[in-house]
Amino acid sequence: MFPEILEAIREVQAPLLAALLLLGAAAKASPRSAGTGAALLVPQRLRRPVTLATCLAEVGLAVGLLTLTGPAADVVRCLTVLLFAVSVGVLLVVRRRDPEAGCGCFGGLSREPIGWRTLSRASLLAVAAATTIGLGPNGWTSASEPTVTHGIVLGVELLLLGLLSPELREVFSRATTGEPCALREGSPRRSLRRLRRSDVWRTNAKVMLADEPEDTWRHGCWRFLRYDGMRHGRRVDVVYAVRIGGPRRTGVRAALVDRESGAVIATFGAVTTLDLQGPPRRLPKPRQAAKRDEAEGRGGPKPGTLAEEPPGEAGRGMPGGPSKEIQGAGA
Amino acid sequence: MTDSGRERRRFTSTVLGAAAAPEPTPIHQRVVRGVVVDATRYMFCLATPRGEERFLYENSTTFWRGGEILATELRPGDDVVVRCSQDGRLIAERVWARVARATGVIVEREGDTLTLDPGHGRPRTTVVLPYRTSGRITVRHPRLEPGYLFDAVGIWEDGAVWAARPATTQPPHPLDASPRRPPVREYSTTVEGIVSWYDPARGRSSHLDPRAQAPGAAYPALDRSGHEGRCDRRTSCLPLPLLSTGATLSLRNDCTRDTAVVPVIDCAASDSWFCDLCPACGTRAAGRIASLTMTSFVALGGLLEVGCFNATMTVANQEG
Repeated sequence: MFPEILEAIREVQAPLLAALLLLGAAAKASPRSAGTGAALLVPQRLRRPVTLATCLAEVGLAVGLLTLTGPAADVVRCLTVLLFAVSVGVLLVVRRRDPEAGCGCFGGLSREPIGWRTLSRASLLAVAAATTIGLGPNGWTSASEPTVTHGIVLGVELLLLGLLSPELREVFSRATTGEPCALREGSPRRSLRRLRRSDVWRTNAKVMLADEPEDTWRHGCWRFLRYDGMRHGRRVDVVYAVRIGGPRRTGVRAALVDRESGAVIATFGAVTTLDLQGPPRRLPKPRQAAKRDEAEGRGGPKPGTLAEEPPGEAGRGMPGGPSKEIQGAGA
Repeated sequence: MTDSGRERRRFTSTVLGAAAAPEPTPIHQRVVRGVVVDATRYMFCLATPRGEERFLYENSTTFWRGGEILATELRPGDDVVVRCSQDGRLIAERVWARVARATGVIVEREGDTLTLDPGHGRPRTTVVLPYRTSGRITVRHPRLEPGYLFDAVGIWEDGAVWAARPATTQPPHPLDASPRRPPVREYSTTVEGIVSWYDPARGRSSHLDPRAQAPGAAYPALDRSGHEGRCDRRTSCLPLPLLSTGATLSLRNDCTRDTAVVPVIDCAASDSWFCDLCPACGTRAAGRIASLTMTSFVALGGLLEVGCFNATMTVANQEG
């Protein structure tokens, strides 16, 4: 049992290392990764070339780990061990030189200062690469024939790597934190799509003379589009305001403005701030209504008594009228 | 403000309400920009868009041209900005002559001469660091190498800016290595930061060039779609709302408590590169809100030679 687990641990490493190397290379290729990790040790003009060279080396090693077999595979595995071992040394130097610098392992995501977790992860990966030396099948073959043991080993190792990765917090924070609409770069095409799906657009479609806006501008949360229009023989400006993000019901507003006089002819789509009373959904049953009225101190006449109803509260078509009649009848 | 800007402001206020895009306040008549026609010990004459105007001095009147100068040192042809005393447009309180500003990223250095890229496709500026001011400049701008930012106030001399004093402190990293702003969770309708100035006319023919007299501001968070030309801005370190030319900014000078509403007329790419503090009137929030034109800056209580002031910008609640 134990040799099987050991073998599974060795076989899992190559595809896992290849995946991590490819992820790291992709993250380093983005322009935001400049100025982190090993690039900090070289002059400014060489930083981008050094980052790209690291990126290419990682892609090369990842492909080698996945495809090569025999002595060539062992060379690639040794180089992978060397890469991670050297990176531990480089990270220590970078940390001494600039304690605030990120490791740059996953490009712009690795902005957190280099700490024990980053160093431990690099060391762990160097050890993981060392266990693959001398293994028969290549990474692709190991990944294509998975067993339950492989799955368990992979899960445990991913958990361990997750605990050692400060980048996960950054990924989580980026995924969950949405910037306020006024600061967000909204796509003009998306705004146009939202506008054309709106009722306000359909309402004014007959007035507009062209499909393309004459002018487009932005004001905080709103993107404005001005179209040429003609209404009853007079030239008008049809101005739409499309909200960037936010609830759909506040999505689109519009105003029709007479071009000559500048007078506002009509506005559409503004949502009232008043609390409007909604339509009654369902009338309560008579017994429930009576109980509710009683609880609220609006109790009607009790059985066998002729109590006076407050004027206007009756709501039964004759406010105030019936009570006098009832009083009269009682006298 | 251009016609297009005026129209945009009008339509914005129609749809979102008047508070979203307030009417710009005109520049106070006590701020004048023009070209010196004649200067004597008692008065000087300026060519302004209104014609020739005469200004008297007081004992307390100060003259600045790279440093304090005497009234008689003003030369015909000097481009000057005048702030008159509170009483009106007759007695000069402060006079700045041939004042220039060099803001941007250093692209080249040859001895004591720098070439700056101000961004936004504006022409490159040649900056000369004279021996007498270079010490003062290098205290605040220790790295005069390509890739680093530079911001200084000086005077125009043969088409180049002769730096006289640093405006703010240079960031310790090159522009490419500037840290990104952390994500903002909540948006506030007031933004505190610093306001600087720029000269769209570059010190030439200020009495004829309408850009020299225009009230307005260049804004660093200009939306890419509503702007003609390229605005090579970055994400500013302040949480500034995205606007287009034609929008109006309600600004308050936190030092003098002057307030004004200025229209956005241009892109301030270089303001989005800086995340600096203004040493004037205590230090507060870092980051630049806007660059005002010279006349707007002086009208809002700024001193051109200082180069900045702390300000608060109020943005109306745009939910209508």
